Amino acid sequence: MASTVETEHHAPAPAEPVRDGIWRRPLKNTGLVGFLTTVDHKKIGIGYALGALFFLLLGGVEALIIRAQLMYPEQELISARTYNQLFTMHGTTMIFLAVMPLSAAFFNYIMPLQIGARDVAFPRMNALGLWCFLLGGVLLNLSWFFPGGAPAIGWFAYAPLTDRQYSPDMGTDFWIMGLQILGIASLVGAFNFITTIVNMRAPGLSMMRLPLFTWMTLITSFLIILAFPAITIALVELMFDRHFGTYFFNVEGGGKPILWQHLFWIFGHPEVYILILPAMGIISEILPVFSRKPLFGYPLIVFSGAVIGFLGFAVWSHHMFTTGLGVVATTAFAFLTMLIAIPTGVKIFNWIGTMWGGRIRFTTPMLFSVGFIWMFMMGGFTGIMHSSPPVDAQQQDTYFVVAHFHYVLIGGSIFALFAGMYYWFPKVTGRLMDDFVGKIVFYLMFVGFNLAFFPMHILGMTGMPRRTHTYKSEMGWDQSNFWSTIGAFILGVGILIFVIQIVYAYYKGRKSPKDPWDSRTLEWDTDSPPKEYNFAYTPVIHARDQVWEDKYGVEAKRMEKIAPGKHGIHMPDQSWWPLITSIGLFIACLGMVFHKQPIPLTAEAVFGLEIVIFGLVATFVGMVAWALEGPGGFHLHPDPAEYADATPAPEDGHGHH
Amino acid sequence: MRLRIRTPFLAAAGLAAGLLLLTVGCSLNIEGQQSALDPKGPVAKNQYDIFMLTLYVTTFIFITVGGALAWVLWKFRQRKGDDPNFIPPQSHGHPMLEMGLVIASAGLLVIIAIPTFGGIILKKVVPEELLDGAIEVNVVGFQWWWAFEYPEQGFYTANELVFPAGRAVKINLRADDVIHSFWLPKLAGKVDLIPGQENFIWIMADEPGYFWGQCAEFCGDSHAYMLFRAIALPEDEWEEWLETQQRDTVADDGSFEPLLAREDWGYPEDKILKGAEVFRQACAGCHSVNPRIQTNGPNLAHFGSRTSVAAGWYENEYDLLYRWIREPEKVKPGNFMYRGFLDRDGRTVIMPGLKDYDLSDEEVHAVTAYLYTLR
Amino acid sequence: MSSHAANTDDPHAALEPLKKTSTGIENKKLAMWAFLASDCMFFGTLISTHLIYRKVYPTVVEPTEFFDIELTGFSSFILLMSSLLMALSVSAAHKGNIAGMRRFLLGTIFFGLIFLSGQVYEFNHFVKDAGLTLSSSVFGSTFYVLTGTHGVHVALGVLWLSCWTACSLPKDWAWYTLRGGRFLWLPIRVIFAPMVGRYKHENALDVEVAGLYWHFVDIVWIVIFTAVYLVEYLPILGF
Repeated sequence: MASTVETEHHAPAPAEPVRDGIWRRPLKNTGLVGFLTTVDHKKIGIGYALGALFFLLLGGVEALIIRAQLMYPEQELISARTYNQLFTMHGTTMIFLAVMPLSAAFFNYIMPLQIGARDVAFPRMNALGLWCFLLGGVLLNLSWFFPGGAPAIGWFAYAPLTDRQYSPDMGTDFWIMGLQILGIASLVGAFNFITTIVNMRAPGLSMMRLPLFTWMTLITSFLIILAFPAITIALVELMFDRHFGTYFFNVEGGGKPILWQHLFWIFGHPEVYILILPAMGIISEILPVFSRKPLFGYPLIVFSGAVIGFLGFAVWSHHMFTTGLGVVATTAFAFLTMLIAIPTGVKIFNWIGTMWGGRIRFTTPMLFSVGFIWMFMMGGFTGIMHSSPPVDAQQQDTYFVVAHFHYVLIGGSIFALFAGMYYWFPKVTGRLMDDFVGKIVFYLMFVGFNLAFFPMHILGMTGMPRRTHTYKSEMGWDQSNFWSTIGAFILGVGILIFVIQIVYAYYKGRKSPKDPWDSRTLEWDTDSPPKEYNFAYTPVIHARDQVWEDKYGVEAKRMEKIAPGKHGIHMPDQSWWPLITSIGLFIACLGMVFHKQPIPLTAEAVFGLEIVIFGLVATFVGMVAWALEGPGGFHLHPDPAEYADATPAPEDGHGHH
Repeated sequence: MRLRIRTPFLAAAGLAAGLLLLTVGCSLNIEGQQSALDPKGPVAKNQYDIFMLTLYVTTFIFITVGGALAWVLWKFRQRKGDDPNFIPPQSHGHPMLEMGLVIASAGLLVIIAIPTFGGIILKKVVPEELLDGAIEVNVVGFQWWWAFEYPEQGFYTANELVFPAGRAVKINLRADDVIHSFWLPKLAGKVDLIPGQENFIWIMADEPGYFWGQCAEFCGDSHAYMLFRAIALPEDEWEEWLETQQRDTVADDGSFEPLLAREDWGYPEDKILKGAEVFRQACAGCHSVNPRIQTNGPNLAHFGSRTSVAAGWYENEYDLLYRWIREPEKVKPGNFMYRGFLDRDGRTVIMPGLKDYDLSDEEVHAVTAYLYTLR
Repeated sequence: MSSHAANTDDPHAALEPLKKTSTGIENKKLAMWAFLASDCMFFGTLISTHLIYRKVYPTVVEPTEFFDIELTGFSSFILLMSSLLMALSVSAAHKGNIAGMRRFLLGTIFFGLIFLSGQVYEFNHFVKDAGLTLSSSVFGSTFYVLTGTHGVHVALGVLWLSCWTACSLPKDWAWYTLRGGRFLWLPIRVIFAPMVGRYKHENALDVEVAGLYWHFVDIVWIVIFTAVYLVEYLPILGF
């Protein structure tokens, strides 16, 4: 989609592309081939966003079916098993296929622009991340079409319910292997972002001048690379239990089911911050813009983000207060958990401080941001409540917890991501989204969300356990469930209007100037949408809010621009191999699912490890070809008008890449 | 000047708040069967008190921080007629103020932390003064029912936990299949039953009463149907109950004929005797009617005197029990009474279920009537 | 690949055309360090799984009865020595001594293969003689999955170094490599043949990055050797 927009501005045709490699490298950067072989971080970012929005809708539909089933007591709209599959898939989809990739979309698209880079450090690896994400989502959802259907184990899949004995069907295997591919997607993305942020900042852009969103991208990436191994190994162990008869979580052979919980939550708690820190980064970009003030207490916000990430690794057992931990462990984890409230509170204080004395414009992104602060604060309060184990004993695994994490993940992450989408949409597409419709979307979502999830606090405190597909009228939960369902549908209508609006704005929206919001950070200095090479010049940074300083600051803080050398701008070549490598991984994972399982048509177990080996060989061939092909590259020559005010490159003969 | 809400955000917040108050008012059912807001024992009361403390603290923060936020949004909003090019002072922060807020929030947390520590200990350890007269129960969770063992007396029952009011009940929690969670909201917060480890919880009811509990950890298809009841009896009724429970209810000659006097059977004799025969063939493989033996289904020795069936899902009435035995798969999808027990591969049947017996309506009626003679 | 300018306010330093990054560390190296940090967590998880189960079930098996500590000690030593060869190889690469680099790479690969054969022999021995399998006990499960994961790392390392060895062969060897007699299986020859003659001096960095990985895998083995093998002998030694 975006490619059509980009080509309109295409500078003089690429000169002399490299024709090395086993196959000729793909050169067409439009249409399907252009998309499948792209290495442009912007197209990849859009790919992430479109995939994530699709899965957001899918997970949302699952949620609405769940809510419809719970609208009245003892309803039989769907069977217990279907319900269990729906909440498992809803949770997994929203976390791994909607919120994380939607954050990754912003990492991909916005972060390189914010640091003045031409692309990420490893453009082809970036493409691999995108394809792994999409294929992982496909693999997970393929489970619906196989005997036994989707997994019915809950998104944290507590052993031993996941053992072959209690979940014999392939759904659980789809879940395991789907998450493995998604883990690869997250990991390669994170390595790439870390390298990019640490190494590819524009001259003068020191770490303490980085936009907050880029900072949170960096911290999130570190969380990903340190947290994902735990779940990867846990999933490997579970896979061995299910396919090769090991006893990692099987009591009969001496395994300990509780080990799964530890491994899962060592990943799972940092994961919570992987979901919320990007949201905080987005908010920290938007609030200053629409308050016309710099971020209040920038160093403390950065520092508290890092502290949240660090403490995130030390509190996993607060998900396990009811599993019979000892007094010492319980107390330690409880107090550490309470500590996290402090850096989180710091962020809220500083956001209020940012707006204090400013000039607040209530545009759609700002409304979502302010809504975020309110809702995140609510979610934080309930979080403080169950940081206390005696309180948690009543709240754990009830609707109170469901309310808590939806306040943090919808009121928090999703609101912030929507704020981000409204905020950066003009940058990405060059078109504006209508503010009036945007506000309607916000009000619907805000009211619907609160109506859906506030009553769940009451449900939880009056004893409704989560993950129950029905309930008895005697329990006194009818009213709350009814209103909650109404709210969920209002929220759904809001999101539906958003989707219509974003499609409409893409085709018919008013043209946007390059800086429609009077913003502060570097991405607003380039065109909307940015050209393939992001910046025609090399920006030299002299201040934190560089674009703001350019508009309103003193002379000494203005940005300098350096023109490209006579060889123009070096761009990486497109490649088929990331896609092929990811397909190899997909085949290997699918083969693992089919391993010794009855598959449709034959209804017998017919495959050993043949498909897995085939897939791994394909992956290996893809990687070898990838390496042999090399990054390649060609040079683009922007229109000199684009860097008219730049100083000429002092030293010619070397394009800067 | 006429009053106009210029920032629609506040209107939305007002609307949301109004709706919330409405729903809260309509739906807050403090005395609901499983309400943790209506504690009836010392552990639940302690947990309730700490919850209320956290509620007060967070409400205080909500009013102060939220108040500041609301004021800022109102005070510094761009009004109609304001110069759109106005640039407010570009202040970057106030380290002392920020540190002060950090310290203040740490102080608030200490208020919660102190009683928390007491609560952690109380849930784990029965206070010294209650040890006297405490009774002990072993609970084993199964998909999807509960076995209760009274080790001091050496008998088993299922799905109904009976204990004396005013005395501590020490409960050892185990599971043999998947993880479950023992939760009696009015008496104590939950503790999980985890295969391969033994957990502990204690409860006490201040007064005699009838309580509802439920499994709180997702445990497979019929998780929602895994409830139980807890009955706190006055001392004399407790003694009587203990004595009854230890009596046999069927003849030990293998005929499964009820020991209850025939005039008390309440159904035609041939129906009951037929029921006994059906029970012997189709049910006795999994259900013990000897109170001292636990097999892999709920012990039914004193089934007739229980108040609920199907792990607390139904009240114990003839029609409901009949339905439960007639179409178990519809009442509790995936249950083992219907589909039998499976091997570790999850496919091979090692113990047949009712689907393999194909009982007639008449046979089910007979066995239903029969079960009520087990008292 | 990328050449971003140094992190300084001097715009001219920004345009130094070499592989200057904000930190001065090459992108590939930085990414490899990030990967290794992540890999630490992978092995950390596996090793803790193993140790926790050893602590929980101390008497289920006595591994010292079937461990062949001399053999494992020897192959551990070999793996350590391969690190030395790897370091020499990287050093030769940076000096532009391609033949030397290739020699040392071959040595590293050879030592890596000795280690792998030792592991295959050991697994075979444990399965056949000691009856220790994946599903014989929790110890079997954790032992094989942990050491097996490490073995896969070594094997991937061998493969990676083999690729660079093939790349470093003179271009006219391509044909020989493809024909290669009966020494190598055809698909392997097909994979390696296109690599021949591709090594350029700037690839010294890539060899160095592969070396980082190789050293890491060796160090992890030292930890595994200690945590899985040596600690079992503590009681025997009287600790």
